[in-house]
Amino acid sequence: MRSPWHTTARVLAVDGGPHGYEAPLWRALTVFRVAAFGFAAVLAAARYSHFTRPVLVLCGLMVMALWTGYSSYAYPRGARRSWLLPWADLAITVGCLLLTRWVLHADDLAVTLPMVWIAGPVIAWAIRAGRRAGCAAAAVIGACCMVVRGRIDLTGVNEGVLLLLTAIAIGHIARLSSEAETRALEVATARERERLARGIHDSVLQVLALVQRRGTELGGEAAELGRLAGEQESALRQLIGTRTAGSASHSKPAGNADLREVLSRFATATVTVATPAAAVVLPGAVADELAAAVGAALDNVRRHVGPHAPAWLLVEDEGDGVVVTVRDDGPGIAPGRLAEAARAGRIGVTRSIRGRLEELGGTVAISSPAGQGTEVEMRVPRR
Amino acid sequence: MTTHEQRPPAGAADTRVLIVDDHPMWRDAVARDLAAAGYQVVAAVGEGRAALRAAAAARPDLAVVDLQLPDVNGVEVIKGLLAVLPALRVLVLSASGEHQDVLDAVKAGAGGYLLKSASAAEFLDAVARTAAGDAVFTAGLAALVLGEFRRLAATPRGEADDPVPQLTERETEVLRLVAKGLTYRQIAERLVLSHRTVQNHVQNTLGKLQLHNRVELVRYVIENGLAQE
Repeated sequence: MRSPWHTTARVLAVDGGPHGYEAPLWRALTVFRVAAFGFAAVLAAARYSHFTRPVLVLCGLMVMALWTGYSSYAYPRGARRSWLLPWADLAITVGCLLLTRWVLHADDLAVTLPMVWIAGPVIAWAIRAGRRAGCAAAAVIGACCMVVRGRIDLTGVNEGVLLLLTAIAIGHIARLSSEAETRALEVATARERERLARGIHDSVLQVLALVQRRGTELGGEAAELGRLAGEQESALRQLIGTRTAGSASHSKPAGNADLREVLSRFATATVTVATPAAAVVLPGAVADELAAAVGAALDNVRRHVGPHAPAWLLVEDEGDGVVVTVRDDGPGIAPGRLAEAARAGRIGVTRSIRGRLEELGGTVAISSPAGQGTEVEMRVPRR
Repeated sequence: MTTHEQRPPAGAADTRVLIVDDHPMWRDAVARDLAAAGYQVVAAVGEGRAALRAAAAARPDLAVVDLQLPDVNGVEVIKGLLAVLPALRVLVLSASGEHQDVLDAVKAGAGGYLLKSASAAEFLDAVARTAAGDAVFTAGLAALVLGEFRRLAATPRGEADDPVPQLTERETEVLRLVAKGLTYRQIAERLVLSHRTVQNHVQNTLGKLQLHNRVELVRYVIENGLAQE
């Protein structure tokens, strides 16, 4: 047997960091912040004589340095956890920006103290929550720039636009990489599931089927074991699914479901589910409603015929509609009894099935040919 | 169902059987059951290529094939076996659910299909019927075949001279009842037909599908210029 474990480990590794795709973005932000801080510091040194309160400038630069260090450490680790960090980021940046007003003369305000460092929270918000959040942060910072200068001029507008563009670009990249990661994970999961299914199929299912077969032949207690093995076999087969997730997601548009997959959960050792080879695509809600009706019909079989009574479920795709039939081999319903029960107000399960089908614009036909069990035929039109 | 075990079908001793299954325990169990019922098991192999070699050497009348094989796809194995021995009867015995590969196996010429969860008695019954040339259908296979005919009917066709196989109303009716799990006896009773007639209807649906498959294959070969080579 091939060992299933090393591939599983690889899949888990992909999944390990909750948002692995963010890591390179946070690294890029760290590089940006450090470079921007260096630029601001160099510029501040060059303009040292312009400052009215040099001590305040030093304090501001210190805060910027500390925050550059701390945010670079905290963002990648606290990803998706709390909004405290982004808000603190925005507040500290706004604070450093507003500080400019108190350390420079009114005619020196074209270049602020933190310089391009102010783009930090815009990028962080965009990575964390997408374009819109990034734009919101950009708007706040842009507005603060104008407040600092005390006027709306071309420099300010230009700054704001650049911040907005940054937010949109980074937000877009973040979304693209998150989508790419989701897709990669889906593919890896599907492939792994398929591989496990093959492995289980080659070994466990075969042995369970064999135990069931031999057990039934031997009779007595062994037959009971065989029956249990049979139940587990069909449960396991249903669990691993014989269809691949990849092929299923190709053929159906969003919001739709393959009725075969939805109904396959009813398959057990005693319930046979027969379907066409091609996907039977219905709107998700219709498929769920139909599945609920099928569940009610099967409950009815269990209640009236027996808990281990065999039942058959047939799915037919007629193009303009779908027909699902539930049949059992029980004693059937005496002629007229159904109508009589309805008249007496005891309509129970048939009402729930009929109600659901009527809501879907469909019909139900219940028939009970003499000695051949009961058939519940549910027909749903495609709209 | 014990009557099947006590009364070996006529001609069982003359029926040479090839077993193709990659699971050794299953191979043994199937071989034992067949031997006990009087069949002559000429070879039991675990791989597709070995099956093709064994078929050429042992010339079986019937092959019991699992679709899940380690080297070659089961459907390809069936095609290969029938290319070597056109008169071979093939029964697919598979643990896999009823899906495209089962349909492909039947279109390729398999005469019947049974799930491994079937009992030994059901299995021997299926073998006897396959050996006699009768189609062996499960409810699942019937639904697949019904779906395939509907698909063929719904697929738009370009050329007028391209015949699309169609089921008669009766055939559709019978196939639907098989798909709902009724036995041939129950179907005969409900439609007031003989057991044999029901069997024939089922057989015809399979024949039409296999014929269509061969026609398609020939057309493909001609269209792609493979015939000249």
